[in-house]
Amino acid sequence: MDKMLTLESVYFSYSEEDPVVLADLSLDIPAGKVTAILGPNGTGKTTMLHIMLGLLKPFQGVVTVAGKSHKDYSKRELSQLIGLVPQFESIPFNFSVIEYVLLGRSPYLNPFQLPGDLDLEITEKALKEAGISHLAEKPVTEISGGERQLVHISRVLTQKTKILLLDEPTAHLDLENQNRILSLLKRMAAHGVTTVITTHDPNAAIFAADHFVLMNQGNIAAEGELGEVITTENLSMIYKTPIRVERTTGYTMVVMDKMEEHG
Amino acid sequence: MAKDKYNRFLLLLGLGILVVFLVSVFIGRYPSPPGMLPHILFEDRLARQLVLNLRLPRLLVAFLLGMILSAAGSVLQMIFRNPLVEPGFLGVTQGAAFGAAISILYFAKHPLVIELSATFFGLLALGASYYLSIRIRYGGWVLRLILSGVAVSALFSAGVGVLKYVADPLTELPEITFWLLGGLYSVTWRDLLFVLPFALIGIVVVYVMRWRVNLLSLNDDTAFSLGASLTRERLIILITTVAAAAALTSISGVISWVGLIVPHISRRIFGASAEKSIPAAMLLGGGFTMIADDLARTLLAGEIPLGILTSAIGAGLFIYLMISMSFKVRRDG
Repeated sequence: MDKMLTLESVYFSYSEEDPVVLADLSLDIPAGKVTAILGPNGTGKTTMLHIMLGLLKPFQGVVTVAGKSHKDYSKRELSQLIGLVPQFESIPFNFSVIEYVLLGRSPYLNPFQLPGDLDLEITEKALKEAGISHLAEKPVTEISGGERQLVHISRVLTQKTKILLLDEPTAHLDLENQNRILSLLKRMAAHGVTTVITTHDPNAAIFAADHFVLMNQGNIAAEGELGEVITTENLSMIYKTPIRVERTTGYTMVVMDKMEEHG
Repeated sequence: MAKDKYNRFLLLLGLGILVVFLVSVFIGRYPSPPGMLPHILFEDRLARQLVLNLRLPRLLVAFLLGMILSAAGSVLQMIFRNPLVEPGFLGVTQGAAFGAAISILYFAKHPLVIELSATFFGLLALGASYYLSIRIRYGGWVLRLILSGVAVSALFSAGVGVLKYVADPLTELPEITFWLLGGLYSVTWRDLLFVLPFALIGIVVVYVMRWRVNLLSLNDDTAFSLGASLTRERLIILITTVAAAAALTSISGVISWVGLIVPHISRRIFGASAEKSIPAAMLLGGGFTMIADDLARTLLAGEIPLGILTSAIGAGLFIYLMISMSFKVRRDG
């Protein structure tokens, strides 16, 4: 397995007084595949993405991107290598979709440079790839939640990075939009882009991912292929709720059972 | 707005401002309201001196003042992701007011000393806001600077209150009050030369970094992932624009609302992208302030303080924008 991103014995906490969020965490992210990170709320998934991005620095441990440590890259080089779609991305002003997506070209421009024709061409291509060319001139504040998520993904596509990190990319979306976004990510992986998504929805992970990581209390509980990780025992233990994994010919589905009432 | 249409619009705006400038040179109360015809300049020596020594520097300062306040307002609103921010936000206006008042009371009443003192205290307020924001241990960068700005502004405002209280009510208090009301009645070429370096640096930095301002308005994690050196780039833009605003405030007094309302109007006409809205806001702000200053010196027999007029016109426009349907700003983050 070719590794694109590696975390080795990583420890992290937000300050000396705060509890440790990640403890002795080691993980390899395979190149050119979709990796899904699953786990309950507050288990450190977003923190881990921010550490992969280089936004947060672990107080112990090593993070390697394409064979080199974060600190061996300049900020600009790193932004040409890793793209992020955060869980919450508020856009306070009424940019048009194309103006906003064009910002994905920033890593290729110096702070005093304006985007040129090539940047515009790449942006239009990204909008087409995401199937939202018709929204180009619409204000971002006037489109639906699903369309907005496609806009964020288009922005990260114009960044032309080898690694994509997406924090809960399908949260709050209907099934059609989930399908559009996950299918787009699978197409990107087929073109060699290493993709890491966090999600609460095991079925979305099964739909899109090739590699699975289960996190619990700041560490890795299970890691590997679908059959090894997405099991009734693993999910019931992690989510502390009765969960069944049903496997039929060629398909795996996660079903939640009703909780017994107490008292 | 499409690029061609934008360029045409900007050219028209530039021509409109040139016309306002030329007309402003000739309107006033000399030799009699509403002004003079151009040929009088060749015939009347006093008219020539009036135009060359008083009206021209005053008009140029009015234009620069409007440009800088609007540029600083645009930048601050975008970086702080808050459409209600203006250049006085980081304590700069109240700092400059304190500097002017303390100079009138204790240092010297010479205009240059007042300007230097106002600029110094305006910048000191900016530095204090920034230092305090570093020392606050909670909240994001924006929240910490907002809290620091409010606190520093309140401190200097209290200082101005104390100085007004101890000032001589017959000599010093009117001078402080008139400075606080804002006006360009005493502007000379020397004042223009004093503010020019600050203004030019501010204008050039904002203009060349205008597209980057869009990036700096995004969430910290997104902007970081797009390669922005957040603290460094934000500080470069903030310090240069706010320093220019402090320098201009030192000669104009407190001129409110221009930095708040003009960026809104510009975004409404030219769209939210700072690439287009900031250059347009600078031109609109320059034109707006020149027209307001023309009104200040011609409406009544005595001069109306410019700050009062910009507040009245700005607040009126703001109310109109708020109740009109096109005033849409998301505040979900």
